[in-house]
Amino acid sequence: MKNSQLYKGSLNTIVMKLLEENGRMYGYEITQKVKDITKGELKITEGALYPALHKMEAEGILEVEVENVDNRLRKYYKLTQKGTTETVNKLAELEEFIKNMQSIVQPKLDY
Amino acid sequence: MKLSTEQIEKLYQFTRQHYVEYYDLQTELVDHLANGIEEQWQEKPKLSFDEALQVEFKKFGVFGFMDVVEKRTAAMNKRYNKMILNHLKVYFRIPQIIGTIAAVGIVFYLLKMSLVSVFTMSILGLISIGFLFFSLFYLVRKRKKYEAKTGKKWMLKEIIFGHSTSLGLIQFPIQLFLQIDEPLVDIWLLIFSVFFVLIFICEYIIIFEIPSKAEDYLKQTYPEYEFSKI
Repeated sequence: MKNSQLYKGSLNTIVMKLLEENGRMYGYEITQKVKDITKGELKITEGALYPALHKMEAEGILEVEVENVDNRLRKYYKLTQKGTTETVNKLAELEEFIKNMQSIVQPKLDY
Repeated sequence: MKLSTEQIEKLYQFTRQHYVEYYDLQTELVDHLANGIEEQWQEKPKLSFDEALQVEFKKFGVFGFMDVVEKRTAAMNKRYNKMILNHLKVYFRIPQIIGTIAAVGIVFYLLKMSLVSVFTMSILGLISIGFLFFSLFYLVRKRKKYEAKTGKKWMLKEIIFGHSTSLGLIQFPIQLFLQIDEPLVDIWLLIFSVFFVLIFICEYIIIFEIPSKAEDYLKQTYPEYEFSKI
């Protein structure tokens, strides 16, 4: 992932936001979607994505569905009810973070 | 161009060669690699299957699938611990809690009456050892039954049936108690009794309750579990 230290803490939030918008998605689709949205600026590595997905699944934030697609089984992830609530909180948290960072990086000067 | 069934089977082999033992994780990685390869073919249709696979595998980094396997195991163990906790909670609800308190009372009474006599400890010891042997026998039999069903390995299944090592836990409070020479005050006897009963309930959950519901848990955890039987 580009500038991994800065993005790392937000991986879960990114995934949750995408699932909120798209309903259900599979691993590869998530990596591609992020690449598309950020025009290749942000690449989620496979080694980080799957552990994050599995952790959220164990925590009850995500649930899985399996379907047979193109000769193989495909595992879809989607938000649980708990996950949907959590997404709202996480997004609010992230927005707050961005706002704070902005005021540090570009402080408004009082004249 | 889509991958053939044969190539999918090759991908399964590839994950096995790279130390992914469990079918649930293999399936997910196979689909990921397959998507990646198909994507590459869209741009370079002449690329061979093996070359495309290598490119895709490199994206997982120098440790390959290891990190994914490790984290998956941690997540699954967490899930299993949560299961135990959920089962344990039942014993603290009404009406079960009456039984739990009664059991603590009985252990306490036995200890109190005979004040760490050889007799009490022998009874507790015998109960534990008897329980231990019976459970081992039960778990091994149940495990064999399950293994015969499918040839595939499931991580959660291994965790559920692989906890016979925790059986020894029951000996711990007894050993601890045997080390104490002086008669204990009531509060310590009570703490010991609670501890003993708690461990006993946990063992019962690990050995009987969860394995007997294994099929449900596996279906709940792995939607692909049903597919794989076909």
